[in-house]
Amino acid sequence: MSADVSRLDLRRQFDAIVREYRADLYRYAFWLCRRHQLADDVVQEALLRAWKAFGNLRDPSSARQWMVSIVRREHARLYERKQLEMVDLANYEEEIPAAVDDPDLEEMRKAIFGLEDGYREPLALQVLMGHSTREIAEIMELTEGTVLTRLHRARKKLKAAINFDADEQDMRGDGS
Amino acid sequence: MTDHEADNRRDEAAFEALLERALRIDVPDAATARPPRRAGRSRWPLLAAAASVLVVVGMLVGRLNDSAYFPSGDLAGDVIVHVHHEPMAIQDTAAVRPVPSVEFQEVLRAAGVRMAPVTPMVRYAKLCPFRGEMVAHFVVQGPEGPVTVLLLPDENVPSAIEVEEDGFVGTIVPMEQGGSIAVVGESGAAVEEIQREVAAAVQWRL
Repeated sequence: MSADVSRLDLRRQFDAIVREYRADLYRYAFWLCRRHQLADDVVQEALLRAWKAFGNLRDPSSARQWMVSIVRREHARLYERKQLEMVDLANYEEEIPAAVDDPDLEEMRKAIFGLEDGYREPLALQVLMGHSTREIAEIMELTEGTVLTRLHRARKKLKAAINFDADEQDMRGDGS
Repeated sequence: MTDHEADNRRDEAAFEALLERALRIDVPDAATARPPRRAGRSRWPLLAAAASVLVVVGMLVGRLNDSAYFPSGDLAGDVIVHVHHEPMAIQDTAAVRPVPSVEFQEVLRAAGVRMAPVTPMVRYAKLCPFRGEMVAHFVVQGPEGPVTVLLLPDENVPSAIEVEEDGFVGTIVPMEQGGSIAVVGESGAAVEEIQREVAAAVQWRL
């Protein structure tokens, strides 16, 4: 009986975490693979694996980073097994509905979609998931310096792609 | 702070706000992850009653809709949920085309399966997560409509399980080598014949 109650309690904790993070985990998975169908597969599989291992998670405060890591591993595993076809800008319109009333948003999404994986991922981890540079470095198994560089370059590429304040970039001398 | 610096800050803040908005794409709700069953097509009232009991139990233990991510213990139910999960695979369209053989073989290889050619046209093939494993999910075009096949080397069933749910009929049959295959189609599809042919053609690579 007490084992049942304990499992029920565990389940409630897990459900609460899923409720809090599911949408952002999905968005993170989407920006990793840029395919809704695959993002859905990745998140389903990641949540299944997370539930199986949830009893071993000692520190509930690390749940967000733990689940992000599981999503990342599942994405890598699916990529490895499926040998997916390349996704490029031609797939953009299939995957993201046009923001017809908001050309700035449309332009920015297209620019993010076109970023290289190594730049898109830390940006999603920072902006969507709220991870610190140190946490991103741990998740991506990079140094903090590399993460900082990639975040800076990712923003620079996006600004160039959307023609954001070109004068100001030129004045800083990092626009080349 | 100069006017120029103040302008820059405003620009940066606007850029960050736009970046965050752009990353926050719309997320399909849980109903998309587990599509609603088709209403009014169930021909098994007992099953419907059992499902109601399960719903109540589910609510009692605080399950979310997201719990579609977990195997339910009801293999037949999970098969039907999976079929609903990829509705495009069985859509009736005039543009049904055969999956190239290389592509189909790649899905089978990745799922750890060898399969001799089968008579009906394979119109859809995908490697899918199912109850914690990656499995081959394909659809063949039967004479009376599409028939879905899931190859399940990790799902052992002691004997054949009849599937009749949400307008789908079919069976999950044990394989001599272990594991099972699930074959389901809309009522009237030539499920049995296809199930026999696929069962004879499949061999696990384990």
